[in-house]
Amino acid sequence: MPMDYCEILDRAYQGRTISEPDWDLEHVAMATARLVRKYRLAWNPQEIVTDDPALADAVFEAGFELARQIGCYFRSTERVVMFDERELLQGLARMPQTLVLGEGTDARTLYARRIMDDRPPLVWAGNPGAPHPEALFQASVISWAKEPIVDLITCGSLSHVDGREIRTGGPLEILATRRELTYLRDALNQVGRPGMGMLAAQSSVSELGDLAVANPDYLRRCDAHLVPMSNELKMDHRNVARAVNSIDYGMRNAALVCVIVGGLGGDAPGSAVVNVASHVLAPLVTLAHYQLLHPIHIKHVATTTRSTMWVESIVQQAFSRNAPAIFVTDIYPKSGALTRELLYETAANAIAITVTGGHLEGCGSADGLLHNATGLEARFMGEVGHATVRAGVDLKDANAIILDLLGKYEHVFDLPDGNPGVHFDEAYDMATIEPVPEWQAMYEEVKRELSTKWLGSL
Amino acid sequence: MRVLGTSLHELAQKSRPAGLNPSLWGAEDATVTQSNDHIRVVKQAIVDGDSESASLCTEAAIAAGLDPQVILDQALMAGTTIVGEQFEKGVFFLPELMLTGKALKAAMTVLAPALKAKVAHNQPGATVGGTIVIATVQTDIHDIGKNIVAAMLAATGFQVHDMGVDVPTKAIVARAQEVNADIIACSALLTTSMPVMRDLIGILNDNGLRERFKVMIGGAPITEDFVKEIGADGTARNAIAAARLATHLVTAHRNARAMG
Repeated sequence: MPMDYCEILDRAYQGRTISEPDWDLEHVAMATARLVRKYRLAWNPQEIVTDDPALADAVFEAGFELARQIGCYFRSTERVVMFDERELLQGLARMPQTLVLGEGTDARTLYARRIMDDRPPLVWAGNPGAPHPEALFQASVISWAKEPIVDLITCGSLSHVDGREIRTGGPLEILATRRELTYLRDALNQVGRPGMGMLAAQSSVSELGDLAVANPDYLRRCDAHLVPMSNELKMDHRNVARAVNSIDYGMRNAALVCVIVGGLGGDAPGSAVVNVASHVLAPLVTLAHYQLLHPIHIKHVATTTRSTMWVESIVQQAFSRNAPAIFVTDIYPKSGALTRELLYETAANAIAITVTGGHLEGCGSADGLLHNATGLEARFMGEVGHATVRAGVDLKDANAIILDLLGKYEHVFDLPDGNPGVHFDEAYDMATIEPVPEWQAMYEEVKRELSTKWLGSL
Repeated sequence: MRVLGTSLHELAQKSRPAGLNPSLWGAEDATVTQSNDHIRVVKQAIVDGDSESASLCTEAAIAAGLDPQVILDQALMAGTTIVGEQFEKGVFFLPELMLTGKALKAAMTVLAPALKAKVAHNQPGATVGGTIVIATVQTDIHDIGKNIVAAMLAATGFQVHDMGVDVPTKAIVARAQEVNADIIACSALLTTSMPVMRDLIGILNDNGLRERFKVMIGGAPITEDFVKEIGADGTARNAIAAARLATHLVTAHRNARAMG
């Protein structure tokens, strides 16, 4: 029997008390540093995608040991929630190996991918959490949903509705989240894919909006929402409330884990260990149906740095080999729409995720901070993922391609203001919801380059 | 302090990257004086994030008759500069910053009375870093960015009062008054929590306190336009820039106080 949330809450009310600063430094940071040494974990910036099964297994063992050793911190009660090895293993064993999202002919089945799986990754388009002006929200969603290669949809968030500022946990958060879902459903109807599965309620930053859309008119039972863990290895009442409500409603929980690479885990190996520990705990504390992997670089934010891509690839390999689960992995490039670098970043990240066992979600272009994302790079993300599988790219080849691509975009991390590109409505024709000619031409050039040099029929 | 069977000191030593040695801060003179020895070991303790050594070695340096201002400048601040540079280069990470912040706090506990005594004897030039109250604003529970900035500020010599996350605006203002802060620093990751920063400025204005504190705001969605819109004093894109901004604001604030 899987552990139910009442048992988790009992432990959150009865566990050992500890201050949050002590948790951060003396438990997470210290225990992780010790495990990195114990398992002799190291990374090489020239090996973004490693072909080293022993390293993947060691990262998994270290992460599992961290989860067993320190558990999870419950912020609302300032107590530690502990699990024994048997409970953690049971949690991992109950993770679905397949999961249907959406309904009717638009439904798609997520599955636990293997390393170098010969089945293509599913393509989940959108820039979750990026703030959007209300006037452009629906058009953005249409730009993603109309792409035939896109299987599933997500979206940015609304920070204003009808010109009114939304405040976290305020009554208007309900309005914003319902408005978001209305726009999403309308957009899917407009492109003729009404049954497409969604990851939504992105405008709900507290639990309020999330609870308000657990309704067949908004988020259906065949859709998903976020149940985040806070940095690092923390939960609280608000996030458990999201999970409790959706379990009873029958919706899918995505365990969102955003470990800071360079944060409490230290360098990339420690960050990978914290990431594994989070995903080991997630089945229990977030009641997860699938894992959502999104490491954040401490300085550059983007998932397309060497260390963040290394973390994504080693964590996916670790789980694929030791505890297969569905991993959907975010692509948040530094660059934004109408830049060549956005396409190179997207390609490198998509290859790293695809060959190591993940599905693709993105793109949160321009660090997901601006509405500078479009359907075109989501299409490209999917095309690269599919081509990687078709071409039979192995781990070593993937690493070589990624190193070449890094040479084409890594300079953006040294730009003082990043490389944000332009807003959605400058990169797309708002009448047709199609890329402007300049953006289309840039995409075709980069696609041709990738096709010629590395991926064959892209 | 022992954690999970290992001392912070041992972990700090073992977790340091190889090659961090005195050559990082320049070759020493052929004739190493006793004073230089004291400065070197205090600085090393700060770089190592070793609170126990930082406290003991600072005590020894004071007992040996070293000028407390020299200990502050050439050992503590010089050590934090090295740590900041290593963080910027990607050699050190958040745990190292946090350990150095703790070590600095331990050393300052010992050094502060000596510095105050120097000020009391009217010796010019004795200064300590400013005081900062930092919090993630009410409705937002994200703390990692705030923690990184707090660690960098502490490691740069500021006295940091970290109030945690989801902190009510009035409580932030009350704490700033209580500790006579130079700066109030607020963080928000959520776009929908940014309005709370405007509330904070409003409370300061309504209570005639706006001139008393400098206000720094930060977080991924914060822009210079938003700083201007709500009337804050500045923002920074990362922890290193935040420490520079805080230094600038404290200097300006203290100069203004001195003038006024």
